[in-house]
Amino acid sequence: MASRKEGTGPATTSSSSATGAAGKGKGKGGAGDSAVKQVQIDGLVVLKIIKHYQEEGQGTEVVQGVLLGLVVEDRLEITNCFPFPQHTEDDADFDEVQYQMEMMRSLRHVNIDHLHVGWYQSTYYGSFVTRALLDSQFSYQHAIEESVVLIYDPIKTAQGSLSLKAYRLTPKLMEVCKEKDFSPEALKKGSITFEHMFEEVPIVIKNSHLINVLMWELEKKSAVADKHELLSLASSNHLGKTLQLLMDRVDEMSQDIVKYNTYMRNTSKQQQQKHQYQQRRQQENMQRQSRGEPPLPEEDLSKLFKPPQPPARMDSLLIAGQINTYCQNIKEFTAQNLGKLFMAQALQEYNS
Amino acid sequence: MSRFFTTGSDSESESSLSGEELVTKPVGGNYGKQPLLLSEDEEDTKRVVRSAKDKRFEELTNLIRTIRNAMKIRDVTKCLEEFELLGKAYGKAKSIVDKEGVPRFYIRILADLEDYLNELWEDKEGKKKMNKNNAKALSTLRQKIRKYNRDFESHITNYKQNPEQSADEDAEKNEEDSEGSSDGDEDGVSAAAFLKKKSEAPSGESRKFLKKMEDEDEDSEDSEEDEEWDTGSASSDSDSEEEEGKQTVLASKFLKKAPATEEEKKAAEKKREDKAKKKHDRKSKRLDEEEEDNEGGEWERVRGGVPLVKKPKMFAKGTEITHAVVIKKLNEILQARGKKGTDRASQIELLQLLVQIASENNLGEGVAIKIKFNIIASLYDYNPNLATYMKPEMWQKCLDCINELMDILFANPNIFVGENILEESENLHNVDQPLRVRGCILTLVERMDEEFTKIMQNTDPHSQEYVEHLKDEAQVCAIIERVQHYLEEKGTTEEICRVYLRRILHTYYKFDYKAHQRQLTLPEGSSKSDQDQAENEGEDSALLMERLCKYIYAKDRTDRIRTCAILCHIYHHALHSRWYQARDLMLMSHLQDNIQHADPPVQILYNRTMVQLGICAFRQGLTKDAHNALLDIQSSGRAKELLGQGLLLRSLQERNQEQEKVERRRQVPFHLHINLELLECVYLVSAMLLEIPYMAAHESDARRRMISKQFHHQLRVGERQPLLGPPESMREHVVAASKAMKMGDWKTCHSFIINEKMNGKVWDLFPEADKVRTMLVRKIQEESLRTYLFTYSSVYDSISMETLSDMFELDLPTVHSIISKMIINEELMASLDQPTQTVVMHRTEPTAQQNLALQLAEKLGSLVENNERVFDHKQGTYGGYFRDQKDGYRKNEGYMRRGGYRQQQSQTAY
Repeated sequence: MASRKEGTGPATTSSSSATGAAGKGKGKGGAGDSAVKQVQIDGLVVLKIIKHYQEEGQGTEVVQGVLLGLVVEDRLEITNCFPFPQHTEDDADFDEVQYQMEMMRSLRHVNIDHLHVGWYQSTYYGSFVTRALLDSQFSYQHAIEESVVLIYDPIKTAQGSLSLKAYRLTPKLMEVCKEKDFSPEALKKGSITFEHMFEEVPIVIKNSHLINVLMWELEKKSAVADKHELLSLASSNHLGKTLQLLMDRVDEMSQDIVKYNTYMRNTSKQQQQKHQYQQRRQQENMQRQSRGEPPLPEEDLSKLFKPPQPPARMDSLLIAGQINTYCQNIKEFTAQNLGKLFMAQALQEYNS
Repeated sequence: MSRFFTTGSDSESESSLSGEELVTKPVGGNYGKQPLLLSEDEEDTKRVVRSAKDKRFEELTNLIRTIRNAMKIRDVTKCLEEFELLGKAYGKAKSIVDKEGVPRFYIRILADLEDYLNELWEDKEGKKKMNKNNAKALSTLRQKIRKYNRDFESHITNYKQNPEQSADEDAEKNEEDSEGSSDGDEDGVSAAAFLKKKSEAPSGESRKFLKKMEDEDEDSEDSEEDEEWDTGSASSDSDSEEEEGKQTVLASKFLKKAPATEEEKKAAEKKREDKAKKKHDRKSKRLDEEEEDNEGGEWERVRGGVPLVKKPKMFAKGTEITHAVVIKKLNEILQARGKKGTDRASQIELLQLLVQIASENNLGEGVAIKIKFNIIASLYDYNPNLATYMKPEMWQKCLDCINELMDILFANPNIFVGENILEESENLHNVDQPLRVRGCILTLVERMDEEFTKIMQNTDPHSQEYVEHLKDEAQVCAIIERVQHYLEEKGTTEEICRVYLRRILHTYYKFDYKAHQRQLTLPEGSSKSDQDQAENEGEDSALLMERLCKYIYAKDRTDRIRTCAILCHIYHHALHSRWYQARDLMLMSHLQDNIQHADPPVQILYNRTMVQLGICAFRQGLTKDAHNALLDIQSSGRAKELLGQGLLLRSLQERNQEQEKVERRRQVPFHLHINLELLECVYLVSAMLLEIPYMAAHESDARRRMISKQFHHQLRVGERQPLLGPPESMREHVVAASKAMKMGDWKTCHSFIINEKMNGKVWDLFPEADKVRTMLVRKIQEESLRTYLFTYSSVYDSISMETLSDMFELDLPTVHSIISKMIINEELMASLDQPTQTVVMHRTEPTAQQNLALQLAEKLGSLVENNERVFDHKQGTYGGYFRDQKDGYRKNEGYMRRGGYRQQQSQTAY
């Protein structure tokens, strides 16, 4: 609720309940060096995404689609979108690229912006920070610098406030991804932490004036009961699910750490061996020298002691990112719920 | 000799039965070859003839033929190869060649080959045309043959000088190729026809020769047989007589020998007597005297009028029909046994005839018993295949025969029967001393029992036929009982153990309705029940089992019999709901530890016993024990196979035909089956009674374990159903009942578990169905109450026990005891308020959210720990310092955590 009120974008002329603007205050204001500082989404796009999920997605399945639009000054305007068809096993030879190209060509014929500015994806309880998302977003961003990914959370939306967020990879992460080196050293050099993987871009939903007028009219007509879901006090289910997911991630994280730990131990053990070997060598050489014999030939130590393969750190970073998202979600959710509870308490006291 | 008798003792007894040692030997010798097919017999003789010369020569000629073929097509390479082979083959045949001289055809090929090669060598043009390989081979071969032929120089020159004669010589040998041979020597590349003939000839010859041998063999056999028949001409006569009157044989039996056949018989006997006279003069004289003593023999068939008529005549010639003759004849018949081509049916008839003759001539029980033993043995032999079972008429005959045998044995207590009596020491007719006959009645009966099982296994259990066969069971039991009585007097302990086991095996699975009835009526009117008891057969099956088993426990020395007896005893106890005895016996026996080393039939018996034990426990309301007992059988999902009640359909790769046959033989006959649906139902219901309260109690526990995987599987299957209709199968009923129980709705649960359908399917199968049902209802009520309290305790602040007792229709003390138990076991955080009869909840159980939070905290704790370990590595030597700090931190954290939890608790409590 609170966020909704804060989130009224500067450019929107209205904030109707159906397409409640959800510009996030939390998005890094100084989205930085990238030219795009703001994403402006057409109401049509939002509705299309919602509709797509409602018709095709259920449960843990996600729906995806392509965003179309154009860049105006420091603003990325998303004016249209089209969905990807759901994948099934029997049409394995479906050519996605072909489909996209054709779709865009067709849309151009009807005078729709055809710049490919990113893609959208639905999510299940906010679990979207995955390798797949990273990879595809990287390829988008690699091709078109401005592209973003829109994450639509249908469950949160069902609770009364539209949840739509725009993300893109930080330039740092882009660099690392470009090199495809996810070793601990590389990540350290790139100074990448889970906080600096994705950056959120503020969203503004823009509608035409005519639509806004219509919204106002509908607002007046709609019954109060339609807006009640926002005030629902029930919290256990959502919270429980999120906790469960969070726990799963923590487990994964734990495993990852154990793996890393083993790696560390192996490395240090090897270092020790190497050291011992060198010392022995040196001693022997000294003895030889004293006996007047030629020293032993130098050997390639790296061949003798192959350093163990360092585990890729990208996964753990992603998990950490996901955990972070969950935590944000829980924080947000509990804050809202506490507010609601206090409100309810006050109401009760007032009534009694 | 019987091929069926695999155990040493059996075959021993059989062989000794079959007669004197001299006679046994050839039989035994034949035995090895007998299983071969008739055609193989021919081959046998062939091999003998060929082995020496023809085999080698055939090899040589075959090679020679290929060489000639190769010569014809100028394939020198091939020639070379074959020549080398030929050299080797010749080397092998060396020993024969030494004896027989170098064979002509060999010399001829050598000569021909050399000529041929020389010809090729000279033919420069042809040589040029040759390919490289051939040219090379040609030169090598030429050198080789030149070298090789040096050894045969004289022969070759001989041959070259006189090719005709040598050919003739060959012709003599191989009649057929006389014309071909003359062409053959003119040029190497001779007609193919010749070659063919040449090579075929020896084999043809040998074949012919073989035939001759065979004929001879046959002749000799015939003559042997003739001789045999001569010595005991009676048999051949009776044989022919039989052929004539095969149909009349049976009839005549019933008619107690029609006069017409009697005439024939006399003639036959006369003939036989004449022959026998010469051979067994001395012996018969001695026997003669004894025969008179034996005339009082009691064999039933003799009692007819005919033998009486005959008697005087027999006496007149009494000197002739003697024991020795009969035994001799018996041995003859037995000799034919197991031989190929012996008509087993006619053999049985022969033996039966012999019995009649013996009885008619009053040869006494000794002989009769001996022959009877053999009749039964041949009846068993009748089926050549282990898998097939006896025909009903055979079976009937066998039963009759054994009964008769037993009659005789009982009537004549002075007869000793035993497999340890040697053939030599047999006493068949000397009445002054006790009669001694070799043979083991117990083995026969055991075999009979096996046959019975086989018959039952092979009959369709749902047919009327099965019922008919099952009626024989009583007869089988009676025979076993008789044998038991007999052996109790005469047998060794070992034998008694064996026969007791048989008896037990026929008793343990039968529910003793009479005893059961008696038990029921006992408390009401003891006088009446006494009467009943008097009327009823003497012994309760329980007592019987007790007596037999105890004897075995005490006396048996083979582990297997004791194991079987214990298992049967337990089974019997369990069947009659004597749970504690059964359980104690099972625990005392320690069979669980080493049953996996037992042979499959014993394992099957063990499984059956365990299942019966489980079902027994269930009837007593001991769900946990029932569940534990059935767990192993049910969890594997192949109860059917484990109980030997049918084969699972599996791919053939897992099991070949042979295995399948073996497994099929292990199957338990249908009338011993334990109802699998009942078994599964008992298992599932006991699992439900255990699992549902457990699930309710540990709903949010991450470390919760399943009690029964199978039950969970069924639940999951039920959940997956897209459309939930009313339950149909037993499983669906249980699943539906479980769902009801989860909600604490015992009435619905009850209606799902006990209704018409389930009664028909399961519950009515119990002997005391009503008792089981009342037990079950009570169990359901109790467990539902527990489940209810687990599930909904968080909703209540306090709950009146009266309400609970109303809800679950249990009386107050029961409710009180259940709740108290739960409180004591710390399953329910509550206390009882005595004055108001209420349960006051403490509300200390964390809610679902709190539980999750706790789990998360735990996980985070381990995560932090792991993380710190990584940190330790980074710090290296400074670890110690940091560790101290870390410990402090962790302690602190733990405190915080617990504190937080407390806070949460207090929050919710208000």
